[in-house]
Amino acid sequence: MTPPAIEVGALTKEFGGLRAVDGISLSVATGERRVLIGPNGAGKTTLFHCITGTLSPSAGRVALFGRDVTALAESRRTALGMGRTFQISNVFANLSLAENLVLALIGTGRRKWIMHRPVGAYPDLRRRALEGLEHVGLRQRADESVKHLSYGERRQLELALALNSNPKVLFLDEPCAGLSPGERQRISKMIGALPRDITLVMIEHDMDVALGLADRVTVLHRGRIILEGSPAEVQANPEVRDVYFGHV
Amino acid sequence: MGRVGIGLALAAFAVALTLPQFAGPFWMGLVTQMLIFGLLALSVDLLLGQTGLFSLCHASFFAVAAYTTAILQVRYAVPTLLAAPAGLVAGTLLALGFGLAVRTRGVYFILITIALGYIVWGVLHRWSSFTGGDNGVTNVPFPAVGELRIGSHTEYYYFVLAVVIACALVYRVLIASPFGLSLRGIKASETRTRSLGYRTGLHLYAAFVLSGLLASLAGVLYVYYNRFVNPVSASFPISVEATLMAIIGGSGTIAGPFIGSGIILGLRNWVSSFFELYATVMGVVFIATVLWAPDGIVGLVNRLRAARARRKAL
Ligand SMILES: Nc1ncnc2c1ncn2[C@@H]1O[C@H](COP(=O)(O)OP(=O)(O)O)[C@@H](O)[C@H]1O
Ligand SMILES: [Mg+2]
Repeated sequence: MTPPAIEVGALTKEFGGLRAVDGISLSVATGERRVLIGPNGAGKTTLFHCITGTLSPSAGRVALFGRDVTALAESRRTALGMGRTFQISNVFANLSLAENLVLALIGTGRRKWIMHRPVGAYPDLRRRALEGLEHVGLRQRADESVKHLSYGERRQLELALALNSNPKVLFLDEPCAGLSPGERQRISKMIGALPRDITLVMIEHDMDVALGLADRVTVLHRGRIILEGSPAEVQANPEVRDVYFGHV
Repeated sequence: MGRVGIGLALAAFAVALTLPQFAGPFWMGLVTQMLIFGLLALSVDLLLGQTGLFSLCHASFFAVAAYTTAILQVRYAVPTLLAAPAGLVAGTLLALGFGLAVRTRGVYFILITIALGYIVWGVLHRWSSFTGGDNGVTNVPFPAVGELRIGSHTEYYYFVLAVVIACALVYRVLIASPFGLSLRGIKASETRTRSLGYRTGLHLYAAFVLSGLLASLAGVLYVYYNRFVNPVSASFPISVEATLMAIIGGSGTIAGPFIGSGIILGLRNWVSSFFELYATVMGVVFIATVLWAPDGIVGLVNRLRAARARRKAL
Protein backbone atom coordinates (compact mmCIF):
# COMPACT_ATOMS: atom_id res chain seq x y z
CA MET A 1 0.00 0.00 0.00
CA THR A 2 1.31 3.44 -0.82
CA PRO A 3 1.74 5.70 2.20
CA PRO A 4 -0.71 8.59 2.62
CA ALA A 5 0.29 11.96 1.18
CA ILE A 6 0.03 13.54 4.60
CA GLU A 7 0.04 11.82 7.94
CA VAL A 8 -0.20 13.88 11.11
CA GLY A 9 0.30 12.12 14.45
CA ALA A 10 -0.82 13.50 17.81
CA LEU A 11 0.10 17.04 16.82
CA THR A 12 -0.08 19.71 19.49
CA LYS A 13 0.74 23.41 19.31
CA GLU A 14 0.62 25.61 22.36
CA PHE A 15 0.82 29.39 22.48
CA GLY A 16 1.64 30.17 26.08
CA GLY A 17 -1.15 28.44 27.92
CA LEU A 18 -3.43 28.15 24.89
CA ARG A 19 -3.60 24.83 23.07
CA ALA A 20 -4.45 25.98 19.56
CA VAL A 21 -3.97 22.45 18.23
CA ASP A 22 -4.64 19.70 20.72
CA GLY A 23 -3.39 16.25 19.76
CA ILE A 24 -4.65 16.08 16.19
CA SER A 25 -4.09 12.94 14.11
CA LEU A 26 -5.02 13.07 10.48
CA SER A 27 -4.30 11.12 7.32
CA VAL A 28 -4.88 12.36 3.77
CA ALA A 29 -4.55 9.87 0.91
CA THR A 30 -2.65 10.72 -2.26
CA GLY A 31 -4.94 12.46 -4.72
CA GLU A 32 -7.58 13.10 -2.10
CA ARG A 33 -9.37 16.42 -1.69
CA ARG A 34 -9.82 17.14 1.93
CA VAL A 35 -11.61 20.15 3.35
CA LEU A 36 -11.13 21.37 6.91
CA ILE A 37 -13.97 23.30 8.46
CA GLY A 38 -14.56 24.66 11.93
CA PRO A 39 -15.42 27.94 13.62
CA ASN A 40 -12.96 30.82 13.86
CA GLY A 41 -10.15 30.08 16.27
CA ALA A 42 -10.60 26.31 15.94
CA GLY A 43 -6.90 25.92 15.12
CA LYS A 44 -7.12 25.27 11.37
CA THR A 45 -4.51 27.80 10.31
CA THR A 46 -2.19 26.78 13.14
CA LEU A 47 -2.49 23.15 12.03
CA PHE A 48 -1.51 24.23 8.50
CA HIS A 49 1.47 26.17 9.84
CA CYS A 50 2.68 23.11 11.73
CA ILE A 51 2.27 20.75 8.78
CA THR A 52 4.06 23.02 6.30
CA GLY A 53 6.79 23.98 8.77
CA THR A 54 5.94 27.67 9.17
CA LEU A 55 5.64 26.90 12.90
CA SER A 56 7.21 24.01 14.74
CA PRO A 57 4.74 21.97 16.79
CA SER A 58 5.01 21.57 20.56
CA ALA A 59 4.57 17.81 20.13
CA GLY A 60 3.63 15.27 17.50
CA ARG A 61 4.88 14.35 14.05
CA VAL A 62 4.23 15.07 10.39
CA ALA A 63 4.96 12.71 7.51
CA LEU A 64 4.89 13.48 3.78
CA PHE A 65 4.43 10.40 1.56
CA GLY A 66 5.62 8.25 4.45
CA ARG A 67 8.71 10.34 5.14
CA ASP A 68 8.98 11.96 8.54
CA VAL A 69 9.46 15.70 7.93
CA THR A 70 8.86 16.94 11.47
CA ALA A 71 12.48 18.05 11.85
CA LEU A 72 12.80 19.52 8.35
CA ALA A 73 12.79 23.25 7.65
CA GLU A 74 9.88 24.73 5.75
CA SER A 75 12.02 25.23 2.63
CA ARG A 76 12.95 21.52 2.61
CA ARG A 77 9.32 20.50 2.90
CA THR A 78 8.52 22.73 -0.06
CA ALA A 79 11.30 21.08 -2.03
CA LEU A 80 9.75 17.70 -1.17
CA GLY A 81 6.40 18.76 -2.59
CA MET A 82 4.40 20.84 -0.12
CA GLY A 83 2.86 24.07 -1.33
CA ARG A 84 0.58 26.51 0.43
CA THR A 85 -1.37 29.72 0.35
CA PHE A 86 -1.83 32.06 3.29
CA GLN A 87 -5.12 33.14 4.81
CA ILE A 88 -3.96 36.75 4.60
CA SER A 89 -2.50 37.27 1.14
CA ASN A 90 1.27 37.05 1.34
CA VAL A 91 2.58 38.20 -2.02
CA PHE A 92 5.64 40.25 -2.98
CA ALA A 93 4.18 43.74 -2.88
CA ASN A 94 7.06 45.69 -4.43
CA LEU A 95 7.59 43.39 -7.37
CA SER A 96 5.72 42.92 -10.62
CA LEU A 97 3.27 40.05 -11.03
CA ALA A 98 5.64 38.29 -13.41
CA GLU A 99 8.50 38.63 -10.92
CA ASN A 100 6.25 37.14 -8.23
CA LEU A 101 5.69 34.10 -10.38
CA VAL A 102 9.38 33.77 -11.30
CA LEU A 103 10.19 33.64 -7.59
CA ALA A 104 7.74 30.77 -7.21
CA LEU A 105 9.18 28.99 -10.26
CA ILE A 106 12.82 29.08 -9.14
CA GLY A 107 12.23 28.58 -5.40
CA THR A 108 12.66 24.82 -5.29
CA GLY A 109 15.46 24.48 -7.85
CA ARG A 110 19.05 25.62 -8.10
CA ARG A 111 18.39 28.56 -10.37
CA LYS A 112 17.66 30.86 -7.44
CA TRP A 113 21.45 30.92 -6.93
CA ILE A 114 22.34 32.18 -10.41
CA MET A 115 24.15 35.50 -10.07
CA HIS A 116 25.90 36.10 -13.36
CA ARG A 117 22.98 36.48 -15.78
CA PRO A 118 19.81 38.56 -15.56
CA VAL A 119 16.44 36.85 -15.17
CA GLY A 120 15.66 38.07 -18.69
CA ALA A 121 18.29 35.70 -20.07
CA TYR A 122 15.96 32.79 -19.26
CA PRO A 123 13.00 33.10 -21.63
CA ASP A 124 11.40 29.92 -20.26
CA LEU A 125 10.94 31.62 -16.89
CA ARG A 126 9.10 34.51 -18.49
CA ARG A 127 6.98 32.16 -20.57
CA ARG A 128 6.03 29.96 -17.62
CA ALA A 129 5.35 33.02 -15.44
CA LEU A 130 2.94 34.35 -18.07
CA GLU A 131 1.26 30.93 -18.34
CA GLY A 132 0.83 30.88 -14.57
CA LEU A 133 -0.74 34.34 -14.66
CA GLU A 134 -2.94 33.39 -17.59
CA HIS A 135 -4.26 30.52 -15.52
CA VAL A 136 -5.58 32.90 -12.84
CA GLY A 137 -6.66 35.55 -15.35
CA LEU A 138 -3.94 38.10 -14.55
CA ARG A 139 -1.79 37.85 -17.65
CA GLN A 140 -2.66 41.35 -18.88
CA ARG A 141 -1.18 42.78 -15.71
CA ALA A 142 2.08 40.81 -15.77
CA ASP A 143 4.35 43.86 -15.64
CA GLU A 144 2.38 45.93 -13.19
CA SER A 145 3.39 46.21 -9.58
CA VAL A 146 1.42 44.08 -7.13
CA LYS A 147 0.71 47.34 -5.29
CA HIS A 148 -1.94 48.10 -7.89
CA LEU A 149 -3.88 44.85 -7.43
CA SER A 150 -7.28 44.70 -5.79
CA TYR A 151 -7.89 42.45 -2.80
CA GLY A 152 -9.47 39.78 -4.98
CA GLU A 153 -6.65 39.89 -7.51
CA ARG A 154 -4.15 39.41 -4.71
CA ARG A 155 -6.00 36.27 -3.68
CA GLN A 156 -5.66 35.01 -7.23
CA LEU A 157 -1.96 35.80 -7.30
CA GLU A 158 -1.59 34.08 -3.94
CA LEU A 159 -2.99 30.93 -5.49
CA ALA A 160 -0.80 31.29 -8.58
CA LEU A 161 2.31 31.48 -6.37
CA ALA A 162 1.44 28.23 -4.65
CA LEU A 163 0.59 26.45 -7.92
CA ASN A 164 3.81 27.52 -9.60
CA SER A 165 6.04 26.12 -6.89
CA ASN A 166 4.92 22.82 -8.42
CA PRO A 167 3.45 21.15 -5.32
CA LYS A 168 2.40 17.53 -4.93
CA VAL A 169 0.35 18.42 -1.86
CA LEU A 170 -1.33 21.80 -1.84
CA PHE A 171 -2.62 23.51 1.31
CA LEU A 172 -5.12 26.30 0.70
CA ASP A 173 -6.08 28.50 3.64
CA GLU A 174 -9.49 30.03 2.91
CA PRO A 175 -8.74 30.85 -0.75
CA CYS A 176 -12.17 32.39 -1.28
CA ALA A 177 -12.46 34.42 1.91
CA GLY A 178 -13.53 37.99 1.31
CA LEU A 179 -14.11 37.59 -2.43
CA SER A 180 -17.12 38.73 -4.39
CA PRO A 181 -19.49 35.94 -5.50
CA GLY A 182 -18.12 36.17 -9.03
CA GLU A 183 -14.49 35.90 -7.96
CA ARG A 184 -15.41 33.13 -5.53
CA GLN A 185 -16.96 31.09 -8.29
CA ARG A 186 -14.01 31.61 -10.55
CA ILE A 187 -11.49 30.50 -7.94
CA SER A 188 -13.45 27.48 -6.76
CA LYS A 189 -13.87 26.39 -10.36
CA MET A 190 -10.15 26.73 -10.84
CA ILE A 191 -9.43 24.69 -7.73
CA GLY A 192 -11.91 22.05 -8.85
CA ALA A 193 -10.10 21.82 -12.18
CA LEU A 194 -6.70 21.10 -10.61
CA PRO A 195 -5.25 17.79 -11.78
CA ARG A 196 -6.03 14.85 -9.53
CA ASP A 197 -2.39 14.03 -8.94
CA ILE A 198 -2.21 17.08 -6.69
CA THR A 199 -3.42 16.20 -3.22
CA LEU A 200 -5.51 19.05 -1.87
CA VAL A 201 -6.06 20.12 1.73
CA MET A 202 -8.22 23.18 2.02
CA ILE A 203 -9.67 25.30 4.77
CA GLU A 204 -12.98 26.76 3.64
CA HIS A 205 -15.82 28.49 5.36
CA ASP A 206 -18.20 28.58 2.43
CA MET A 207 -20.16 25.34 2.75
CA ASP A 208 -21.20 25.27 -0.90
CA VAL A 209 -17.60 25.53 -2.04
CA ALA A 210 -16.39 23.11 0.63
CA LEU A 211 -18.97 20.41 0.05
CA GLY A 212 -18.79 20.71 -3.71
CA LEU A 213 -15.04 20.10 -3.77
CA ALA A 214 -14.38 17.72 -0.91
CA ASP A 215 -13.95 13.97 -1.02
CA ARG A 216 -13.84 14.02 2.74
CA VAL A 217 -14.40 16.70 5.35
CA THR A 218 -12.69 17.11 8.73
CA VAL A 219 -14.37 19.26 11.35
CA LEU A 220 -12.20 21.01 13.93
CA HIS A 221 -13.36 22.59 17.13
CA ARG A 222 -11.15 24.01 19.89
CA GLY A 223 -8.04 22.36 18.53
CA ARG A 224 -9.56 18.89 18.19
CA ILE A 225 -11.20 16.87 15.46
CA ILE A 226 -14.83 16.35 16.29
CA LEU A 227 -15.82 14.59 13.10
CA GLU A 228 -14.44 13.25 9.87
CA GLY A 229 -16.54 11.90 7.05
CA SER A 230 -18.05 12.40 3.60
CA PRO A 231 -19.67 15.76 2.87
CA ALA A 232 -23.11 14.20 3.27
CA GLU A 233 -22.26 12.65 6.64
CA VAL A 234 -20.87 15.93 7.92
CA GLN A 235 -23.88 17.90 6.78
CA ALA A 236 -26.23 15.48 8.49
CA ASN A 237 -24.39 15.44 11.81
CA PRO A 238 -26.23 17.25 14.63
CA GLU A 239 -23.03 18.05 16.58
CA VAL A 240 -21.53 19.82 13.57
CA ARG A 241 -24.72 21.76 13.06
CA ASP A 242 -24.44 22.85 16.62
CA VAL A 243 -20.79 24.02 16.76
CA TYR A 244 -20.36 25.07 13.19
CA PHE A 245 -23.54 26.07 11.47
CA GLY A 246 -24.65 27.61 14.74
CA HIS A 247 -21.82 30.09 14.44
CA VAL A 248 -22.31 31.20 10.88
CA MET B 1 17.27 52.01 -17.22
CA GLY B 2 15.18 54.30 -19.38
CA ARG B 3 16.41 56.56 -22.16
CA VAL B 4 16.88 59.40 -19.70
CA GLY B 5 18.88 57.12 -17.42
CA ILE B 6 21.23 56.07 -20.19
CA GLY B 7 21.58 59.69 -21.29
CA LEU B 8 22.44 60.79 -17.77
CA ALA B 9 24.91 57.94 -17.34
CA LEU B 10 26.66 58.85 -20.60
CA ALA B 11 26.75 62.52 -19.65
CA ALA B 12 28.21 61.66 -16.25
CA PHE B 13 30.76 59.45 -17.94
CA ALA B 14 31.79 62.22 -20.33
CA VAL B 15 32.18 64.68 -17.46
CA ALA B 16 34.14 62.12 -15.44
CA LEU B 17 36.52 61.49 -18.34
CA THR B 18 37.28 65.16 -18.98
CA LEU B 19 37.19 66.32 -15.37
CA PRO B 20 40.98 66.46 -14.84
CA GLN B 21 41.14 68.98 -17.74
CA PHE B 22 39.36 71.68 -15.79
CA ALA B 23 39.37 70.64 -12.12
CA GLY B 24 42.30 71.31 -9.82
CA PRO B 25 43.96 68.81 -7.49
CA PHE B 26 41.65 69.65 -4.57
CA TRP B 27 38.53 68.90 -6.60
CA MET B 28 40.05 65.81 -8.18
CA GLY B 29 40.83 64.47 -4.72
CA LEU B 30 37.29 65.12 -3.58
CA VAL B 31 35.80 63.41 -6.62
CA THR B 32 38.07 60.39 -6.18
CA GLN B 33 36.87 60.10 -2.59
CA MET B 34 33.26 60.44 -3.72
CA LEU B 35 33.74 57.47 -6.02
CA ILE B 36 35.45 55.35 -3.36
CA PHE B 37 32.91 56.11 -0.65
CA GLY B 38 30.11 55.73 -3.19
CA LEU B 39 31.37 52.18 -3.67
CA LEU B 40 31.29 51.64 0.10
CA ALA B 41 27.74 53.03 0.19
CA LEU B 42 26.82 50.71 -2.68
CA SER B 43 28.11 47.75 -0.68
CA VAL B 44 25.96 48.79 2.27
CA ASP B 45 23.00 49.16 -0.05
CA LEU B 46 23.40 45.64 -1.44
CA LEU B 47 22.07 44.66 1.99
CA LEU B 48 19.83 47.63 2.78
CA GLY B 49 18.26 48.26 -0.61
CA GLN B 50 18.08 44.68 -1.87
CA THR B 51 17.51 42.54 1.23
CA GLY B 52 16.29 45.07 3.79
CA LEU B 53 19.07 44.29 6.29
CA PHE B 54 20.37 47.41 8.02
CA SER B 55 24.06 46.82 8.66
CA LEU B 56 26.26 49.21 10.61
CA CYS B 57 29.61 47.38 10.49
CA HIS B 58 30.72 47.96 6.92
CA ALA B 59 33.55 50.23 8.00
CA SER B 60 35.09 47.04 9.46
CA PHE B 61 35.51 45.33 6.09
CA PHE B 62 36.62 48.61 4.53
CA ALA B 63 39.27 49.16 7.24
CA VAL B 64 40.52 45.58 7.57
CA ALA B 65 41.06 45.43 3.81
CA ALA B 66 42.82 48.82 3.88
CA TYR B 67 45.05 47.83 6.81
CA THR B 68 45.96 44.45 5.33
CA THR B 69 47.02 45.99 2.04
CA ALA B 70 48.85 48.85 3.74
CA ILE B 71 50.77 46.65 6.20
CA LEU B 72 51.80 44.21 3.47
CA GLN B 73 52.91 47.01 1.12
CA VAL B 74 54.68 49.18 3.66
CA ARG B 75 56.17 46.76 6.18
CA TYR B 76 56.74 43.67 4.10
CA ALA B 77 57.26 45.32 0.70
CA VAL B 78 54.75 42.92 -0.83
CA PRO B 79 53.92 44.00 -4.41
CA THR B 80 50.50 45.45 -5.23
CA LEU B 81 49.58 42.39 -7.24
CA LEU B 82 49.54 40.39 -3.99
CA ALA B 83 48.86 43.07 -1.38
CA ALA B 84 45.64 44.33 -2.96
CA PRO B 85 44.03 40.88 -3.37
CA ALA B 86 45.17 40.02 0.17
CA GLY B 87 43.23 43.04 1.40
CA LEU B 88 40.14 41.82 -0.42
CA VAL B 89 40.56 38.33 1.03
CA ALA B 90 41.04 39.63 4.59
CA GLY B 91 37.94 41.85 4.43
CA THR B 92 35.88 39.09 2.88
CA LEU B 93 37.02 36.54 5.49
CA LEU B 94 35.85 38.95 8.15
CA ALA B 95 32.49 39.17 6.36
CA LEU B 96 32.28 35.37 6.36
CA GLY B 97 32.46 35.55 10.15
CA PHE B 98 30.31 38.63 10.74
CA GLY B 99 27.76 37.31 8.26
CA LEU B 100 26.51 34.93 10.94
CA ALA B 101 24.67 38.01 12.23
CA VAL B 102 22.00 37.24 9.60
CA ARG B 103 20.65 34.72 12.09
CA THR B 104 19.04 37.76 13.70
CA ARG B 105 16.68 40.33 12.24
CA GLY B 106 15.54 43.88 12.78
CA VAL B 107 16.94 45.83 15.68
CA TYR B 108 18.98 42.83 16.93
CA PHE B 109 20.80 42.69 13.63
CA ILE B 110 21.56 46.42 13.84
CA LEU B 111 22.84 46.12 17.41
CA ILE B 112 25.03 43.10 16.67
CA THR B 113 26.62 44.77 13.66
CA ILE B 114 27.29 47.91 15.72
CA ALA B 115 28.98 45.77 18.39
CA LEU B 116 31.07 43.87 15.83
CA GLY B 117 32.13 47.16 14.28
CA TYR B 118 33.30 48.46 17.65
CA ILE B 119 35.35 45.31 18.22
CA VAL B 120 37.26 45.84 14.98
CA TRP B 121 37.79 49.51 15.73
CA GLY B 122 39.01 48.59 19.24
CA VAL B 123 41.48 46.02 17.95
CA LEU B 124 42.92 48.40 15.35
CA HIS B 125 43.15 51.09 17.97
CA ARG B 126 44.67 49.00 20.79
CA TRP B 127 46.87 46.48 19.05
CA SER B 128 49.37 49.20 18.29
CA SER B 129 52.43 46.96 17.88
CA PHE B 130 50.84 45.55 14.74
CA THR B 131 48.45 48.23 13.54
CA GLY B 132 50.37 51.32 14.53
CA GLY B 133 47.65 52.39 16.98
CA ASP B 134 46.31 55.89 16.46
CA ASN B 135 48.97 56.71 13.92
CA GLY B 136 47.99 53.78 11.75
CA VAL B 137 50.07 52.82 8.76
CA THR B 138 51.66 55.59 6.71
CA ASN B 139 53.60 55.98 3.46
CA VAL B 140 51.52 53.62 1.38
CA PRO B 141 52.88 53.88 -2.19
CA PHE B 142 50.80 54.22 -5.34
CA PRO B 143 49.85 50.82 -6.76
CA ALA B 144 52.30 49.31 -9.23
CA VAL B 145 52.30 46.14 -11.26
CA GLY B 146 55.80 45.38 -12.60
CA GLU B 147 56.83 48.31 -14.77
CA LEU B 148 53.29 49.63 -14.87
CA ARG B 149 52.88 52.09 -12.08
CA ILE B 150 50.44 54.80 -11.23
CA GLY B 151 52.40 58.00 -10.96
CA SER B 152 49.93 60.73 -10.07
CA HIS B 153 46.62 61.40 -8.42
CA THR B 154 45.10 62.03 -11.83
CA GLU B 155 46.16 58.60 -13.05
CA TYR B 156 44.84 57.07 -9.86
CA TYR B 157 41.54 58.88 -10.38
CA TYR B 158 41.17 57.21 -13.77
CA PHE B 159 41.99 53.85 -12.22
CA VAL B 160 39.32 54.30 -9.53
CA LEU B 161 36.83 55.45 -12.17
CA ALA B 162 37.46 52.29 -14.21
CA VAL B 163 37.04 50.03 -11.15
CA VAL B 164 33.84 51.81 -10.10
CA ILE B 165 32.32 51.51 -13.58
CA ALA B 166 33.23 47.82 -13.71
CA CYS B 167 31.66 47.30 -10.28
CA ALA B 168 28.49 49.14 -11.29
CA LEU B 169 28.13 46.95 -14.37
CA VAL B 170 28.67 43.72 -12.40
CA TYR B 171 26.32 44.95 -9.67
CA ARG B 172 23.69 45.65 -12.28
CA VAL B 173 23.78 42.07 -13.51
CA LEU B 174 23.81 40.75 -9.94
CA ILE B 175 20.65 42.55 -8.86
CA ALA B 176 18.87 41.63 -12.11
CA SER B 177 19.82 37.95 -11.70
CA PRO B 178 17.61 35.23 -10.21
CA PHE B 179 19.70 35.58 -7.04
CA GLY B 180 19.08 39.33 -6.91
CA LEU B 181 15.36 38.84 -7.48
CA SER B 182 15.36 36.31 -4.64
CA LEU B 183 16.89 38.91 -2.33
CA ARG B 184 14.14 41.40 -3.17
CA GLY B 185 11.60 38.64 -2.57
CA ILE B 186 13.05 38.08 0.89
CA LYS B 187 12.92 41.81 1.52
CA ALA B 188 9.24 41.96 0.52
CA SER B 189 8.16 38.84 2.44
CA GLU B 190 10.56 36.46 4.08
CA THR B 191 7.74 34.13 5.20
CA ARG B 192 6.55 33.78 1.62
CA THR B 193 10.00 33.08 0.20
CA ARG B 194 10.49 30.38 2.84
CA SER B 195 7.26 28.70 1.90
CA LEU B 196 8.35 28.79 -1.74
CA GLY B 197 11.46 26.77 -0.92
CA TYR B 198 14.09 29.40 -0.16
CA ARG B 199 16.54 28.93 2.68
CA THR B 200 16.42 32.63 3.31
CA GLY B 201 19.23 32.64 5.88
CA LEU B 202 21.62 31.22 3.30
CA HIS B 203 20.61 33.79 0.69
CA LEU B 204 21.08 36.63 3.16
CA TYR B 205 24.44 35.21 4.23
CA ALA B 206 25.62 35.09 0.63
CA ALA B 207 24.48 38.69 0.11
CA PHE B 208 26.29 39.74 3.28
CA VAL B 209 29.57 38.18 2.14
CA LEU B 210 29.31 39.75 -1.34
CA SER B 211 28.57 43.06 0.30
CA GLY B 212 31.65 42.61 2.51
CA LEU B 213 33.74 41.90 -0.57
CA LEU B 214 32.56 45.13 -2.20
CA ALA B 215 33.27 47.11 0.99
CA SER B 216 36.76 45.57 1.06
CA LEU B 217 37.36 46.69 -2.51
CA ALA B 218 36.43 50.23 -1.48
CA GLY B 219 38.90 49.90 1.40
CA VAL B 220 41.77 48.86 -0.85
CA LEU B 221 41.02 51.70 -3.29
CA TYR B 222 40.90 54.07 -0.34
CA VAL B 223 44.27 53.14 1.14
CA TYR B 224 46.09 53.68 -2.16
CA TYR B 225 44.39 57.04 -2.54
CA ASN B 226 44.84 58.23 1.01
CA ARG B 227 48.41 56.86 1.33
CA PHE B 228 47.78 56.06 4.98
CA VAL B 229 45.13 54.46 7.14
CA ASN B 230 44.24 54.84 10.82
CA PRO B 231 41.49 53.50 13.11
CA VAL B 232 39.10 56.30 12.07
CA SER B 233 38.44 54.35 8.89
CA ALA B 234 36.94 51.53 11.01
CA SER B 235 34.90 53.82 13.21
CA PHE B 236 31.15 53.80 13.67
CA PRO B 237 30.61 57.20 11.97
CA ILE B 238 32.04 55.79 8.74
CA SER B 239 29.47 52.98 8.77
CA VAL B 240 26.71 55.47 9.53
CA GLU B 241 27.85 57.85 6.79
CA ALA B 242 27.95 55.06 4.22
CA THR B 243 24.38 54.14 5.15
CA LEU B 244 23.26 57.78 5.01
CA MET B 245 24.84 58.12 1.57
CA ALA B 246 22.75 55.20 0.30
CA ILE B 247 19.54 56.53 1.86
CA ILE B 248 20.01 60.16 0.83
CA GLY B 249 21.00 59.27 -2.72
CA GLY B 250 18.36 56.60 -3.20
CA SER B 251 18.44 53.15 -1.66
CA GLY B 252 17.84 50.24 -4.01
CA THR B 253 19.40 52.02 -7.00
CA ILE B 254 22.94 51.98 -8.37
CA ALA B 255 23.39 55.71 -8.92
CA GLY B 256 21.87 56.60 -5.54
CA PRO B 257 24.79 55.65 -3.28
CA PHE B 258 27.20 57.61 -5.51
CA ILE B 259 24.93 60.67 -5.56
CA GLY B 260 24.61 60.41 -1.79
CA SER B 261 28.37 60.12 -1.45
CA GLY B 262 28.79 63.25 -3.55
CA ILE B 263 26.30 65.19 -1.44
CA ILE B 264 27.68 64.12 1.92
CA LEU B 265 31.37 64.53 1.10
CA GLY B 266 30.65 67.77 -0.69
CA LEU B 267 28.72 69.13 2.27
CA ARG B 268 31.38 67.97 4.69
CA ASN B 269 34.10 69.79 2.81
CA TRP B 270 32.09 72.91 2.24
CA VAL B 271 30.34 73.21 5.60
CA SER B 272 33.23 72.19 7.85
CA SER B 273 35.38 74.90 6.33
CA PHE B 274 33.33 77.59 8.08
CA PHE B 275 30.97 75.80 10.43
CA GLU B 276 31.77 73.71 13.49
CA LEU B 277 28.49 71.89 13.60
CA TYR B 278 29.02 69.62 10.63
CA ALA B 279 27.23 66.73 12.38
CA THR B 280 24.20 68.97 12.99
CA VAL B 281 24.01 69.89 9.32
CA MET B 282 24.16 66.20 8.40
CA GLY B 283 21.35 65.50 10.85
CA VAL B 284 19.19 68.20 9.25
CA VAL B 285 19.93 66.86 5.76
CA PHE B 286 18.95 63.38 6.91
CA ILE B 287 15.69 64.52 8.48
CA ALA B 288 14.85 66.54 5.38
CA THR B 289 15.45 63.42 3.28
CA VAL B 290 13.21 61.27 5.44
CA LEU B 291 10.46 63.91 5.33
CA TRP B 292 10.53 65.07 1.72
CA ALA B 293 12.45 62.44 -0.22
CA PRO B 294 12.08 59.12 1.58
CA ASP B 295 13.34 57.33 -1.53
CA GLY B 296 16.37 59.59 -1.73
CA ILE B 297 17.36 61.95 -4.51
CA VAL B 298 16.81 59.34 -7.21
CA GLY B 299 13.32 58.64 -5.86
CA LEU B 300 12.55 62.35 -5.68
CA VAL B 301 13.63 62.93 -9.28
CA ASN B 302 11.51 59.98 -10.44
CA ARG B 303 8.50 61.32 -8.56
CA LEU B 304 8.91 64.80 -10.05
CA ARG B 305 9.23 63.35 -13.54
CA ALA B 306 6.12 61.19 -13.04
CA ALA B 307 4.20 64.24 -11.82
CA ARG B 308 5.29 66.23 -14.86
CA ALA B 309 4.28 63.40 -17.18
CA ARG B 310 0.85 63.31 -15.50
CA ARG B 311 0.45 67.06 -15.95
CA LYS B 312 1.32 66.74 -19.62
CA ALA B 313 -1.19 63.93 -20.05
CA LEU B 314 -4.02 66.08 -18.66
N1 LIG C 1 1.00 33.31 16.88
C1 LIG C 1 0.01 33.13 17.80
N2 LIG C 1 0.21 33.47 19.08
C2 LIG C 1 -0.74 33.27 20.01
N3 LIG C 1 -1.93 32.74 19.75
C3 LIG C 1 -2.21 32.37 18.49
C4 LIG C 1 -1.25 32.55 17.44
N4 LIG C 1 -1.78 32.09 16.28
C5 LIG C 1 -3.01 31.65 16.60
N5 LIG C 1 -3.29 31.83 17.91
C6 LIG C 1 -4.51 31.43 18.60
O1 LIG C 1 -4.72 30.06 18.33
C7 LIG C 1 -6.09 29.80 18.12
C8 LIG C 1 -6.28 29.14 16.77
O2 LIG C 1 -6.04 30.09 15.77
P1 LIG C 1 -6.08 29.74 14.22
O3 LIG C 1 -5.26 28.53 14.00
O4 LIG C 1 -5.72 30.94 13.46
O5 LIG C 1 -7.63 29.40 14.01
P2 LIG C 1 -8.48 29.25 12.67
O6 LIG C 1 -7.56 29.29 11.52
O7 LIG C 1 -9.17 27.94 12.82
O8 LIG C 1 -9.46 30.39 12.69
C9 LIG C 1 -6.81 31.12 18.26
O9 LIG C 1 -7.34 31.20 19.56
C10 LIG C 1 -5.73 32.14 18.06
O10 LIG C 1 -6.01 33.31 18.77
MG1 LIG D 1 -7.47 30.63 9.95
